[in-house]
Amino acid sequence: MTNAWRKMIARSGLRLLLALVLLVPVFPLAWMLLSSVKSPQELMQTPPSWWPEQPSLDAYRTVFEILPFGRAFGNSFLVAGVATLSVVVTSVLAGYAFAKYRFKGRDTLFWVLVGTMFLPPVVMLVPLYWLVSQLGLSDSYLGVMLPWLANGFGIFLMRQFIADVPDELIDAARLDGAGEARIVRTVVAPLVMPAVVTLSIFAFVFYWNNFLWPLSILQTTEKFPVVLMLSQLLSYSTSVQYQNVVMAGAAVASIPTIVLFLLTQRVFVAGIARTGVKG
Amino acid sequence: MTITRQAAPAAPVATAKLGGPSDRKWAAIFVSPAVLIMTAFMLVPILLTLWISLHEWSMLTPIGDMTWRGLGNYADLIGDPAFRGSMRNTIVYVLLVVALTVPLAVLLGLLLYFPRVGGKGAVRTALFATYVIPTVAIAMVWGALYAPTYGPFDQILGWFGISGVGWLSSPSTALISLVIFHVWQMVGYYTVLVVAGLTQIPGDLYEVARVDGAGFWRQTVSITLPMLGRTMTFIVLVAVVNAVQVFDPIYILTQGGPAGSTDIVSFSIQRAAFQYGLAGQASAMAFSLFIVMIAVVAAIMAAMRRRR
Repeated sequence: MTNAWRKMIARSGLRLLLALVLLVPVFPLAWMLLSSVKSPQELMQTPPSWWPEQPSLDAYRTVFEILPFGRAFGNSFLVAGVATLSVVVTSVLAGYAFAKYRFKGRDTLFWVLVGTMFLPPVVMLVPLYWLVSQLGLSDSYLGVMLPWLANGFGIFLMRQFIADVPDELIDAARLDGAGEARIVRTVVAPLVMPAVVTLSIFAFVFYWNNFLWPLSILQTTEKFPVVLMLSQLLSYSTSVQYQNVVMAGAAVASIPTIVLFLLTQRVFVAGIARTGVKG
Repeated sequence: MTITRQAAPAAPVATAKLGGPSDRKWAAIFVSPAVLIMTAFMLVPILLTLWISLHEWSMLTPIGDMTWRGLGNYADLIGDPAFRGSMRNTIVYVLLVVALTVPLAVLLGLLLYFPRVGGKGAVRTALFATYVIPTVAIAMVWGALYAPTYGPFDQILGWFGISGVGWLSSPSTALISLVIFHVWQMVGYYTVLVVAGLTQIPGDLYEVARVDGAGFWRQTVSITLPMLGRTMTFIVLVAVVNAVQVFDPIYILTQGGPAGSTDIVSFSIQRAAFQYGLAGQASAMAFSLFIVMIAVVAAIMAAMRRRR
């Protein structure tokens, strides 16, 4: 009996602890949503209300009125979509070569490419700006994407997964007369789909959230991605009565990556786990 | 490197394993898109950063017009209290982030891995969701949370009779406030890495310990933590790299202020280059940061290898 009691207490304690831990990530997100539906009067009163008394979606309308947010969504989907596609293709190809071929300097080249993962983009900011301007691409969509069309993380992830594809399958396809390009497309890629999904989501989230580079290379508001457009609301954030508009903007800007993550989190989390501990 | 399809290997399978000429050709074809992009936009720019750092240049004039300064920019930086301050802030920021993140991620990892209790999945999802949200968006939210008097943090502290914490508006607390935000946003990601590390520990180790009568904490100290060594080193590495390049929250929340207390090198680089037109000096800062990064990453890698 005492043992059962102790177990129950331990279990309730754990549940309580988990609930408290859950509060930490949830509170700021809840605050964002709650504030976005409050009225200006409610935001300005002291002490501020915690639960909105007369919730309204006015702030969401306002944020689309003062900023071309819809346009910015299109821009972000375009840039993040194309760049993600490019990262996946270049990573699968390179990952296959590094996992399944033998050539001189293979390992050195692999580690140089993977090592760029640890290179903060800000270190290359000035020359990147110069290079992209020289190509006539400053203030253009292509200029926003160009430096990030391949990355070391993708190559690393793909090599890890493709290394596990049995050589026999590849050899069998070769004996059937399949060319190398076809083997990648029809044998290797389908077998590493979980990794492709993981990489796509990672890349999409990275490009969607990327701020430093678009901030540095873009001037025309019509070309701004969502996060850059959102930062235009900064001037509003100093006055409390516009807090609902700022929060509505933040919420809207967060929707695509959050939804993407929630839809695919099982694959995503498993994929991240693979990047950390192996080999 | 012309690509002709009909030259595809009719070669026997064996050459594929030995690194024959057909292997080299296909390897070159498959690797070159990534190599070309990354050489042009990562490796060459690093060298250009070094080259530009030896000059005075505003980025508004053609690059041919820049004037040679030798190590002048570096000498200026060493003598510049503002740069020394931003270096110091960066080091403090990175150290605090790592010191808070690693133990927190391990504790959360233990909590989300071992106990058999429902609801762990929801907690993991919520913890990780913060990593996926645009930093710009969620930093604006934290600006509201940290707001003096109106903000909920000050409200909550008020219940306990604490008031006047300056958060982002006071030079003594602004940097630590940014650290808290960073740890809050990133800890879920590192927790997932810890959980992945925990799944790699062979279960029979615990079996043996249990037979010997070791309780949960005893097992944690003598099995779990030592076995997590490599994972933790990896987390330190990634956390350092992520913390060094922090930019968005500083741009959104403090712009380096108040009184330069949150001026971090990555922010100074962007500001010097794009607001002050000091591309040479910005490049000198960037290259210094790069060198420091290499040294730190190499040291951590060496520690990692020793553990192996």
